[in-house]
Amino acid sequence: MKRLKILFAIAVLVLALAPVGAQDVTTVTMWFGEGSTLDCWGPLMLEFNEVDPSVQLEIVPQADTWNVTRTAVAGGGGPDIVRTPGPSFVYEMAQAGLILPMDAFADEMGWGDFFFDWALDLGLVDGQLYSLSDELETLVMYYNVDVFEANGWTPPDTMEELNALAEEVEAAGLTVFSHGNASWRPTNEHFVGEYWTQVAGPHKVYQALSGEIPWTDESLVEAIELLDAHMQAGWYGGGVDLYFTNDGVYRRTSLAEGSAAMNIEGSWAIRGTVDYFGESGQTWDWAPVPSHDGTDYFTIGMGNTSSINANSPHPEAAAQFLTWYFSPATQGKMLTNCLKGPAPVAIGEDVLGALDPRIARIYAALSDASANDRYGYTTWTFWPPKSDVYIYEEIERVWTGEITAMEYSEGLQELFAEELAAGDIPPIPTR
Amino acid sequence: MAVLTQKKPMTIAEKFNDESWRRKFLNNVLIPWIFIAPLLIIHLYVVAVPAVQGIYMSLTDWKGVGMNVNFVGLENYRELFFEDETFGKALSNNILWMAFFLTVPFILALFCATMLSQVRRGGMIYRSILFVPYVLASVVTATIWKNLLNPQRGVGAAVDNILGLEGVFGVAYLGRTETALMSIAFIDNWQFWGFLMILFLAAMQSIPPVLYDAAKIDGANRWQEFRHVTLPGIRPILVFMFMMVAIFSFLAFDYIFLLTQGGPGGASEVIATQLYKNAFFRFQAGYGAAQGVVISIFAGFIILIFVTVKRRGWDI
Repeated sequence: MKRLKILFAIAVLVLALAPVGAQDVTTVTMWFGEGSTLDCWGPLMLEFNEVDPSVQLEIVPQADTWNVTRTAVAGGGGPDIVRTPGPSFVYEMAQAGLILPMDAFADEMGWGDFFFDWALDLGLVDGQLYSLSDELETLVMYYNVDVFEANGWTPPDTMEELNALAEEVEAAGLTVFSHGNASWRPTNEHFVGEYWTQVAGPHKVYQALSGEIPWTDESLVEAIELLDAHMQAGWYGGGVDLYFTNDGVYRRTSLAEGSAAMNIEGSWAIRGTVDYFGESGQTWDWAPVPSHDGTDYFTIGMGNTSSINANSPHPEAAAQFLTWYFSPATQGKMLTNCLKGPAPVAIGEDVLGALDPRIARIYAALSDASANDRYGYTTWTFWPPKSDVYIYEEIERVWTGEITAMEYSEGLQELFAEELAAGDIPPIPTR
Repeated sequence: MAVLTQKKPMTIAEKFNDESWRRKFLNNVLIPWIFIAPLLIIHLYVVAVPAVQGIYMSLTDWKGVGMNVNFVGLENYRELFFEDETFGKALSNNILWMAFFLTVPFILALFCATMLSQVRRGGMIYRSILFVPYVLASVVTATIWKNLLNPQRGVGAAVDNILGLEGVFGVAYLGRTETALMSIAFIDNWQFWGFLMILFLAAMQSIPPVLYDAAKIDGANRWQEFRHVTLPGIRPILVFMFMMVAIFSFLAFDYIFLLTQGGPGGASEVIATQLYKNAFFRFQAGYGAAQGVVISIFAGFIILIFVTVKRRGWDI
């Protein structure tokens, strides 16, 4: 009798599992950097598995994700979803035939309905769509409200006002901008890009990116000279040599604890800003980076891109995941829960309304700037790779007095002209 | 009158018919090769083949992604030696690095090994303490020292605070062009020299004590003992480590990349960090491969010097 019961139980179990076993389950793989980002993003992305049981997402944590991914993909393997650090990396992979054109999926799955037009254009290589941009970024000027109120300061709109304020900040014994590049050396390029945009204006930058004017144009060189002057004055982190040794912890704590007044940094820093100010008990806010004429310009950047591996055995399933992941609903949820920079898709007003108003204001301002021709370009998104590395490596030689701003610009012009001639420039939204 | 008879050499067929020759061939040639074959095949696959590929890639414009490769001959080498100004700077930094590591750790290690070789009780404790840094991962050591040398919260800043000074000891050692490279070398040496000391100590302990006794009888003082007994006694390991350190100096990468990534302003850039950036950041893998080949040539040149010296009769 006992044996009969066991057999019956096994039979019931087999019958219960039969429909699942019989169903074909397609697994879409994605490699993702280990750490706190994955801890928050991971569970939200895995909610995709509840949408359609026949397509399941598998997230594989990887250290040094990009280098591991490109090595694996070049070797004929790698994940189904290929994430790169930006459009310029996509260009190289597309040229090598390592990722698939996705135009058919875009039409079939209606990506154009929720992506901004210019955003889809960023993924074009030779007229075909190879990637979807993610993590919309811009740079703003964070400031310590308590410090500003205690000293009766207001955020500057123009470079002239910034000059006057910086004098007062220094007179108060504070650092003007809490910054340093010890944790991430390419952070240098944030300032180069911002000064070009805010001093020379985004139209000049667009002209230079299009090859219409050289990087040695007077206004662009002036921007570099002004950045160097501010760096030499010790505005950034308290001095040139200190800037090179200040790390991420310094950047956050000095602003949150009020030993620095401001910090020009990306929208990706919101989460850290919220955390550190939460610990210090002080209040943060942000303002647009001051410009030469007081216009609010916002540079646009992309944190990463997603493509489909040419070696993927099931690109349709990968495209199905991308459709779900980039939908305004998913992006809105990730923004709300993880403060993830959203993909350039039309996120509903209700999502922004649920956010901290300061954070919502960043994305609203970026959207407004984008619609009203006040947007600029971040170097890591729109510059070709060699020029990009030059921008953040060689600017240090200007700051250490080894070369002049003009020599720096001449070097960039030479390199950029080569890459422009070779057609290595990522797609630039036309104005 | 002696008659010289010349033995006729055996033909291959005769050799194989000869039982003793077959046995000799089996025992002395075939079986050793069979044993070594797996290792040799793996070595060829993971070392020789990639090395040859690397040399080939250095003659191409490979971007490091995909297999779109165009042969460009010696163009990468021409650019490296005649156009790339930063390569000369990086090479001079490598030479500075080599000069540092061929002197400071050797002097420290020789001095401490000599002192420790005299210690009869508790020597193991000293040895262990001095050797511990060597077993730490470079990323751990780099992080510790990055914090210790931090101008705001490091040791220097603490000393300044105690003495009521400002910016005297709390200096941005890694942030100044004049001090960045040597600060990194100091940190790397902090980890490395203990290993060198242990090697020298082991070599010193293998020197027969009678030699020291004889030197004492001859009236030698401590310096003369060191000069005429210790140094010749440890010369093989000393010279070998000289060669290895000289080669390692062209491979320096980890500490530099962890601490400054070659900055500020290229002040701590070396060939290996440049190679990495070219291959992985600038999409110039072919050019990076050329730099890798140049590093290998430098290493080969160093080995050649030591081989030549050995052939001329040096006991190394």
